[in-house]
Amino acid sequence: MSIMQYNGGSVIAMVGKDCVAIASDLRLGVQSLSISANYQKIFPITDRIYVGLPGLGTDVTTLHEQFRYRVNMYTIKEEREIEPQTFAQLVSSTLYERRFGPYFIEPVVAGMQKLPTGGFAPFIAATDLIGCLNFAKDFVVAGTASEKLFGVAEGLWEPDLEAEDLFETISQTLLNAVDRDAFSGWGAVVHVITKDKVVTRTLKGRMD
Amino acid sequence: MPDGSFAQQPQQRQFNPYTENGGTILAIAGADFTVIAGDTRQSEGYSIQTRYAPKVFRLTDRAVLAVNGFAADGNMFVKKVKQRLEWYRHAHAKDMPLRAIARLIQTMLYAQRFFPYYVYNILGGIEEDGSGAVYSFDPVGSYEREACRAAGAAQALVQPFLDNQIYFKNQMAAAGQSHPLHLPLSDVLAIVIDSFTSATERHIEVGDGLEMYVVLAKGRSSQGLDGLRGAQEISTTNDGDRVFVIRRELKKD
Amino acid sequence: MDVSFAITGKGYVILAADTTAAHSIIKVKLDEDKIKELSPHLLMAYSGEPGDTVQFAEYVERNIRLYQIRNLYPLRPSSAASWIRRSLADSLRSRKPYSVNLLLGGYDTTTHTPHLYWMDYLGTLVDVPFAAHGYGSYFALSLLDRYHDPEAPLEEGLAVLKRCIDEVTKRLVVAQPKYKVKVVDKDGVREVEL
Repeated sequence: MSIMQYNGGSVIAMVGKDCVAIASDLRLGVQSLSISANYQKIFPITDRIYVGLPGLGTDVTTLHEQFRYRVNMYTIKEEREIEPQTFAQLVSSTLYERRFGPYFIEPVVAGMQKLPTGGFAPFIAATDLIGCLNFAKDFVVAGTASEKLFGVAEGLWEPDLEAEDLFETISQTLLNAVDRDAFSGWGAVVHVITKDKVVTRTLKGRMD
Repeated sequence: MPDGSFAQQPQQRQFNPYTENGGTILAIAGADFTVIAGDTRQSEGYSIQTRYAPKVFRLTDRAVLAVNGFAADGNMFVKKVKQRLEWYRHAHAKDMPLRAIARLIQTMLYAQRFFPYYVYNILGGIEEDGSGAVYSFDPVGSYEREACRAAGAAQALVQPFLDNQIYFKNQMAAAGQSHPLHLPLSDVLAIVIDSFTSATERHIEVGDGLEMYVVLAKGRSSQGLDGLRGAQEISTTNDGDRVFVIRRELKKD
Repeated sequence: MDVSFAITGKGYVILAADTTAAHSIIKVKLDEDKIKELSPHLLMAYSGEPGDTVQFAEYVERNIRLYQIRNLYPLRPSSAASWIRRSLADSLRSRKPYSVNLLLGGYDTTTHTPHLYWMDYLGTLVDVPFAAHGYGSYFALSLLDRYHDPEAPLEEGLAVLKRCIDEVTKRLVVAQPKYKVKVVDKDGVREVEL
């Protein structure tokens, strides 16, 4: 079995109209034995950026600490908050530093990008475990249920969903995908990010 | 050898009798109809062998079989099932009932338990009581009657979508209401088309063409089907259960 | 063949670990203490590769002690867990990683809350209401899914823990005869007899 499937877990992010959503399951296991039903793998980076880190449990924590350190240094040196686009590049280069001995994580970034006009645009991105970036316009998926997430998301997602509809779409996509995955599930958490607030909801899921 | 001798080294050669030919199949049962569908791409590795190789076959006026996996095994298996059904017709002067075909397929698959047909079968049609039915099989004959099933290359993409749209999994019914047990034909066809366009979008082995077989129970009006673009009746009689086929293009990239 | 459990309750954490030290198929010691008292309100049960376990546990013990000597106050459980995790995570990608699995139970005297952390040799850190390592986990986790109550008083917590130990003794082929049980709460750490 692959290291990527050792602890299990999945993340998905979707673009809506003036909003983005990022969601994950809450399971952490050791192969088929479930250890925790409340393992958060999505972390806030700024008020407008969240990152999901599905993959090997130890690297979830290590990378989260690494990103926190590097974003703090960026904030101090630049005297401003990091933007999603920049953060995605930071994620990519952090992973590529370990090209030949990688962190076993496939990060997913979601946030609202500040525009030169002063407005905000939804931003999502995902990378593989060595930092190859994928800037999708619709949705990105990662983790043990990624194939299932692709299938359901491709069927349910549509452009320009309002925040509430985007929440429903991403929730249904995630729940139905993880219910067909033995390594993901046991509850879910969904963050819907708009330019001035983040709404976080915890979902109940099947416990089998 | 370096010293010029030809010491006999043990060698091992192996012939692999199986390959995987991609594609996806899907069947959904309604109250008095069943839809059985499959894409028509046949591939080996990254090469497309043909853009039109049917995976769905009419067995009788009430039974349609979809086969997916190793195409050569699939074609041979369908041929043998059809042969057994013809023998049945000669012996009993009627078509074999659907549940009997399902059991026949199990026996035929299990007969090859130690050199299996490398195929996943989905049998769809109308039962003797007039209800729509789907039977799904594994390569060695384990089977089950269900309301819907996807199999093949894009099973992982399609099945959770069907759980959501057909079984209404993770959805709550409006207050005082319950989810319908069966959907109308137009909804089912829409879901099948959406499933295949989605699978085509994200899976390289799915695409080119879509064939949807619709089996209607005896006496059910074909209202809506006749007018449907490209719908073609292929039943032998029109006073029993009827079979239609609808063809659609899928993306070819 | 180490077995260890831990559960949280109302204002306390209980840790239990078997007391067998084995070399291959031979039991060489029956009263080995595998739960270290790292600080006044912090316990650590360790298991894994013989040799690595004691070596790593003592390394942790001395560093946690050093922090307390330098700063005149001990690390809080969450911070201690983070430090220990980082040690294991760094070790994992070194030439010779430590093979040590841990259960870390502590009482945070600033927030007055008990904390339990499950940690494996990879450096996977999880905050949990109850946990187990070794073959015992296959029995204990399902029992605790059914019987664990985060608001249970100490007597009930000990009773639930006893159920786990009894079940393992009854059903596990390589059952351990004796367990050491330690509790940490607002009054600090202490050993209890079951």
